[in-house]
Amino acid sequence: MASITRFRACDHLLNLNAFRSSFKKNGMPSAFWFHTTPQKFVVELKMPSLSPTMTSGTIVNWHKKEGDTVNPGDVLCEIQTDKAVMAFETEEEGTLAKIFVGDDSHDVQVGSLIALLAEPGEDWKSTTCSDTSKVTSEKANNPPKPNCDVSSLEHQDKKNSKRAMTLGPAVRNLLERYGLSPIAILGSGPRGLLLKGDVLHYIQKENLKPVPIVSPTAESKISLKAIGTEPKKSDLSKGTMKKIQNLTHEQEYQDLELSNMRRTIAKRLTASKTGIPHAYSTINCKVDTVMNLRKKFKNEGIKFSVNDIIIKAVATALDLCPEANVIWQGNELVQPTNVDISVAVATKSGLITPIVTDVLGRGVLEIGDIVRDLAERARVGKLQLHEFQGGSFTISNLGMYGISEFSAIINPPQCAILAVGGSRLELGDDGKPTTVMSATLSYDGEAISPLAAATFMSTLQGLLESPQSLLLGHRSLPE
Amino acid sequence: MFSVTLRCLGRQVHQQNKSLAPLFTYSKNGLNTEATFDTKPFKLHKLEEGPATTVTLSRQDALKYYKDMQMIRRMETAAGNLYKEKIIRGFCHLYSGQEACCVGMRASMRSYDAVITAYRAHGWTYVMGVDAVGVLAELTGRSSGCARGKGGSMHMYVKNFYGGNGIVGAQQPLGAGIALALKYQGTDGVCLTLYGDGAANQGQLYEAMNMAQLWKLPVIFICENNGYGMGTSVDRASASTAYYTRGDYVPGIWVDGMDVLAVREATRFAIDHCATGKGPMVMEVVTYRYSGHSMSDPGTSYRSRDEIQEVRQTRDPITGFRERMLSSDLATADELKDIDQNVRQVIDDAVKRAKSDKEIGLDELTADIMSNPIDTRVRGVTAFDTLTHKRLGPAVNSP
Ligand SMILES: Cc1ncc(C[n+]2csc(CCOP(=O)(O)OP(=O)(O)O)c2C)c(N)n1
Ligand SMILES: [Mg+2]
Repeated sequence: MASITRFRACDHLLNLNAFRSSFKKNGMPSAFWFHTTPQKFVVELKMPSLSPTMTSGTIVNWHKKEGDTVNPGDVLCEIQTDKAVMAFETEEEGTLAKIFVGDDSHDVQVGSLIALLAEPGEDWKSTTCSDTSKVTSEKANNPPKPNCDVSSLEHQDKKNSKRAMTLGPAVRNLLERYGLSPIAILGSGPRGLLLKGDVLHYIQKENLKPVPIVSPTAESKISLKAIGTEPKKSDLSKGTMKKIQNLTHEQEYQDLELSNMRRTIAKRLTASKTGIPHAYSTINCKVDTVMNLRKKFKNEGIKFSVNDIIIKAVATALDLCPEANVIWQGNELVQPTNVDISVAVATKSGLITPIVTDVLGRGVLEIGDIVRDLAERARVGKLQLHEFQGGSFTISNLGMYGISEFSAIINPPQCAILAVGGSRLELGDDGKPTTVMSATLSYDGEAISPLAAATFMSTLQGLLESPQSLLLGHRSLPE
Repeated sequence: MFSVTLRCLGRQVHQQNKSLAPLFTYSKNGLNTEATFDTKPFKLHKLEEGPATTVTLSRQDALKYYKDMQMIRRMETAAGNLYKEKIIRGFCHLYSGQEACCVGMRASMRSYDAVITAYRAHGWTYVMGVDAVGVLAELTGRSSGCARGKGGSMHMYVKNFYGGNGIVGAQQPLGAGIALALKYQGTDGVCLTLYGDGAANQGQLYEAMNMAQLWKLPVIFICENNGYGMGTSVDRASASTAYYTRGDYVPGIWVDGMDVLAVREATRFAIDHCATGKGPMVMEVVTYRYSGHSMSDPGTSYRSRDEIQEVRQTRDPITGFRERMLSSDLATADELKDIDQNVRQVIDDAVKRAKSDKEIGLDELTADIMSNPIDTRVRGVTAFDTLTHKRLGPAVNSP
């Protein structure tokens, strides 16, 4: 036995060399097979992309802790992607040496270093990362950089512009008063900084006079003159010349002051349209029955508008489809107890949405009265705050302007808005003309599912097509 | 080098574990240069005799198989990591768990035998002669890729390797066609045509088998049964899961696909059958895929994590082979560790290349589509803006 072991070591060497050369033949780089000192491998675990659209994610919790043995196929941690919570498995074997990004870490960029794995049997405690800067974030798939270093260029650029920018207030004042450019004057301060003395010296040397100060009205007088007669160049410094030229153009326009209300509306609409995932669904309703009904009552001296019925029908549909009847309260979605419908009214200064409260509890005539009163007061700007703030759903009707269909922007914290178009004649299934109206629901894709929106819309369609079903309401007991 | 070998029959040594009892051939100095193993019995269909279940393995071959399997395993691990870093995009199907199949088959192939497989093609590309850089850079879409980065995961080609094929079942008739070509050219070359258990249910396989049997084509239809299609287990997808019998009139063998030696022996047997004009053969290699079907499949919604871990612990092709090598003294643990380290180094270097390498220019986009272009204009996004076809590289596998 002893002799065998003695030879074994020798055989080992012999065979290994044979084995090495056999690989060299196969085209393996020879250097690879001759490096003898086994290298210590550290596996850098990076934040994985576990969904095709994931760019960052949350590490929910680690299943392994530092020092734990890791086998191929083991789950290291749970990661929340943009879609779901997924297990992050590894194919590696070793010891989890270091966790950089612990439990419940949000917004971890894909590709950033989250942990280190040491080779099995290595001293995991001494494992370090070669480059700790990677920990923060390393952008995935950096294409090979071009030779020229853009960042250093940028840096230089900034430096230059910064130097040009550094002017004290006294210097700036003088420059302005004498219509001078800072580039023309040599600075004597540290790093070429332009000093007040330099400017004064320059002014004295060149024997300069301050540029006449022109008030806005004076300027426009000058410009009016300028249209007919050419200004004498010598009279005016270059800076003023430019202003005059601009003014001659400005003459052709008139600035319109934006009202605060318009500004607020714009701000809120932008926030809504960019921040809320708007989704849309449009449905056509045959409104012959509603029209006939209205005509019939009108003949009897009872007047209401189609819009009043739409308001009633929308409230009823919301009541029947509670999934669509939601508003945001902070970060939570709640179901309002009353259905309060905001009705968009166009006023001179913009759109305003007064509220018909508790629509379910009111009849169509009452709704009509309230709407007309609110609209009236809205147009003259006499609404009180509580009359247009709140509401659980908005209806915007542009039918009377001949708009056939449009889509509106959600008014948060509401989750949906219905845009109602005008009615038009179409050929019906039976070959006879029918009156059709389109309505488009814009809804918050986060709060309302497409299915809930569709259910709501088809319920609304049903109610408008056979308005008698508005009488029915809910069953008190489940069927 | 190992001229002084003594055949030493050591059957008595491992009485209790007879099926795996190795028969050793010692070199004079102690470490074995050869050992003999028993494989799991093969199941046969329409065959009187099957491959030998006692196989002899030389030390040199053992080290090569081990290295190749490790290389593929690590390459796939690297590919998976690159994918999760979003450096590899698009399709990517990993071969981890199935290494013994391609390594075992390659071991019995002759230089002029051909292979065609499905989209799970990285391992095959490697054993057919493309190095890890060629595979990984192809995956990252860089110019050192074996298809200049234009093909990606499913479209790798090299001499006698007719590539990955993305359409399930498309490669089976192509494989029969390659076999027809080999026969027509008068060689005794054989085409190994691989497909999955899922693709085994595609109709064109049976059309191809019919013609192959009629024309006695030298094609081995190899079903790599890894237990699952894109998420459907074999017994939910196949009326008969005895894939080796499903050629009906075509003889078939069932093989333990987790044993590189069984695969090697069965392939040798099948090649012999086809090369001697007896017509096609079906081979079912039973294996397992560790990863999800592709990178978008976590792989745990239709099977349990426990199932995967159990296969890893009890049937892993590399661990199993490693144990055989050690217990039969074909190699020392240190040697194997050395191989592991070197493999790791090669893959790490290849990953670096695959990340930093350049992409080809846009002008190459329409190069090398046809080996012998009749028309040099290639249709662009619309029919009105055409691009120029160029011939740059040598055409792989063109006659
Ligand atoms: C004609 C066609 N149908 C469907 C697909 C989608 N598909 C891609 S792979 C796959 C499953 C194939 O499973 P299997 O043949 O067992 O191969 P494995 O993935 O297990 O290697 C399917 C259905 C496809 N690529 N082509
Ligand atoms: Mg399969």
